[in-house]
Amino acid sequence: MSLVSVEHVSFNYTRDRRVLDDVSLSIRTGASIGLVGESGSGKTTLLRLLLGLTRPTAGRIRFGEAELDPGNGAFMRDYRRQVQAVFQDPYSSLDPRQNVLGIVGEPLRSLGIPGDRRALVEAALVSVGLEPGILGRYPHEFSGGQRQRIAIARAIVAKPKLLLADEAVSALDLSTRIRIVELLKRLAAEMTLVFVSHDLGVVAALCDEIVILERGRIVEAGATRKILADPQHPYTRTLLDSVPRMPA
Amino acid sequence: MTTLDALAPHRRDHSLSLWIGLILVGLHVAVALLSLVWTPYDPTAMAGGRLEPPSLTHWAGTDRLGRDFFTQIMIGSRIALIVGIGAVAIGAAIGVTLGMLAAFASRLLDDALAATLDILIAFPTLLIAMLVVAASDTASLGSAILALGIALSAIVARLTRILAKRVLVMDYITAARTSGTSWIGIVFRHVLPNIWPTLSVNFALQFGLAVIAEASLSYLGLGAPPPNASWGRLLQEAQGTVYTAPIGAVAPGIALVSLVIGVNLLADGLRDIGDPTRRLAR
Amino acid sequence: MSLLSIENLSLAAADIPLVSRLSFAIAPGERLGLIGESGSGKSLTAMAATGLLPRAITASGSVRLGGQQVIGAADRVLDGLRGTVSAFVFQEPLTALDPLMRVGRQVAEPLRRRTRRDGRDLDGDALMREVHALLEQVALPQPDRIARSYPHEISGGQRQRVAIAMALACRPQLLIADEPTTALDVTTQAEILKLLDGLVRERGMALLFISHDLPVVAEVVDRVVVLKKGIAVEEGPVAEVFGAPKDEYTRSLVAAARAFDAALEGTP
Repeated sequence: MSLVSVEHVSFNYTRDRRVLDDVSLSIRTGASIGLVGESGSGKTTLLRLLLGLTRPTAGRIRFGEAELDPGNGAFMRDYRRQVQAVFQDPYSSLDPRQNVLGIVGEPLRSLGIPGDRRALVEAALVSVGLEPGILGRYPHEFSGGQRQRIAIARAIVAKPKLLLADEAVSALDLSTRIRIVELLKRLAAEMTLVFVSHDLGVVAALCDEIVILERGRIVEAGATRKILADPQHPYTRTLLDSVPRMPA
Repeated sequence: MTTLDALAPHRRDHSLSLWIGLILVGLHVAVALLSLVWTPYDPTAMAGGRLEPPSLTHWAGTDRLGRDFFTQIMIGSRIALIVGIGAVAIGAAIGVTLGMLAAFASRLLDDALAATLDILIAFPTLLIAMLVVAASDTASLGSAILALGIALSAIVARLTRILAKRVLVMDYITAARTSGTSWIGIVFRHVLPNIWPTLSVNFALQFGLAVIAEASLSYLGLGAPPPNASWGRLLQEAQGTVYTAPIGAVAPGIALVSLVIGVNLLADGLRDIGDPTRRLAR
Repeated sequence: MSLLSIENLSLAAADIPLVSRLSFAIAPGERLGLIGESGSGKSLTAMAATGLLPRAITASGSVRLGGQQVIGAADRVLDGLRGTVSAFVFQEPLTALDPLMRVGRQVAEPLRRRTRRDGRDLDGDALMREVHALLEQVALPQPDRIARSYPHEISGGQRQRVAIAMALACRPQLLIADEPTTALDVTTQAEILKLLDGLVRERGMALLFISHDLPVVAEVVDRVVVLKKGIAVEEGPVAEVFGAPKDEYTRSLVAAARAFDAALEGTP
């Protein structure tokens, strides 16, 4: 069953520059999809559309039966509860003046989710591999990897169905990166994941399906194993060949 | 990606400025409070000869009407604090609201607001204040405070707008939006706390501006009317006798400068105490 | 004799040690990779090598660049070394270029300084011809158009090519590249790495390549030093260090890099 479907979506900031061009995509419940593209591919714009931060110029995005409408407050409240995000830069995605309880508890507070907020936040921290005792501490006291774990805890605290990650590991060091990928992989077993990245290696390690975007268009989509083994589009081949590998 | 930011030259030690600021401001507040219940002499009564030099009976001498000058300065402290706090409070209320609106507004409204603010700022604070006072026919302490508050609000608004815009592009604002936080929530939970340190230091600066501007208004005869012994009026009265009795100009001058410096040092020190990123940085 | 020889280099800010007793050397024409994650001190080491350290950082030990002691040397001496012996390519090409100066003029500046040093004072057309030649060497298309552009008018990859052209204009014996491809797209990264590799080989330049990315380093250098929190934990030829890492930290890095490779091969 399709959780979110993107139907013939186009987006342009100005009339002459089309960022997304007739993009259609079905996100099945339980899938883990890698949206792969380079700068100018429109992957970040697609993510913003999925988050309801911007409206498509043409086409529509459906969530279950309803159409995603950023202007509809009641709908968005439910949508935000089901769809959460992790961003690229763990140094800019955490408010430096909020403590961990405030940061991770924000969706609970803002979406009016009932329950013991403190307990829910502690549970979220534990499930991303952090100590529950850090509630009173501030972002600058943590390393990049720990910050990204806090950001992931914020995204899962409301128990969403869909987790959207925007280059969520590319700002991290290699040894941290692999641990966060493992964490996301574990989470992806319980929810639907859309992972936006330019890094095919990370996507290959994390996602079952890959969608390749080039200049606002989907050039290839399918099962990860199939695309890696037998890329059809020349751009996919270039992308694959460009990834630096370890010497044998 | 390098950690060089953290290696920038070490931050100045702020505890000293905090203490000096605390002492200077504390002194003025204490004197202002004391003046409500006790002054050495009745501020309006002739307490000695005219233009007496400082002595044990009159610590700062007497003015040309024979009133005790130290008493006048004490009352001046009270007026200065009321003017400074009042004007900054009004300026902050109007300015932060306008600036925040501009930062969140559509491009067109923002441009219009920004242009208006730029024009307002081009006028000297004192000139705007004089216009407001002139418009409200009776000169009173209240109208002077209101005038200064309005004049300061343009500066506050512009600063708020710029600072807020810088915060609004951060990922944690996007994260707040996707967490379902309303615009009001974003303003109070994320934007204000993050721009507060810079704003508060600016408020201290404007407190000083307001106190000096009020003194200038009084000096020009546009401030609070007698018997309000504002430092500006004391300076004005001392003008004629500055060569024969310099204490009349020096004493209110010292009072004015010490309060302005004190407030600025205090704000600097307080900013660092209230900032979790500075407090715990190694 | 070594072009760059670092012996027992220690760097500290106030009382916090950043780099401890680091030693390595680069011979003319040799290509060395300095591997480290954030906070390893790898960028600071590169800055120390050319005397570009911020004032707040104290250095001890010895850094000899082109035979000249760098630590404690006067700015006048260092100015003579930078550009003639070594040249720098930074991570972020947008901030490394002057946003208000056309690309052609930015490349012309180091070029003019170098030709003057060689006893040739180029001007006007002759200078511009050499600028174009340099832009062609870094494989920039339409060098005329690029030379007339401002940095924000060209792509990130093109900006990094311009930065490389500026470094080449100095004809340095040692090129220091600090994460030069980290800010770039994968396909652009592949092109820039190929370009750097070709240029360094062709000109017999020595290369100090700084990066956190193991496979990237492997593409352009022969030998690596692995830094962890300011301490060199392992050093040796790429094949040896990446093939059979001895240190535990190096092992974890190599394992992580190989895990992503394996995922790409479809053999997780």
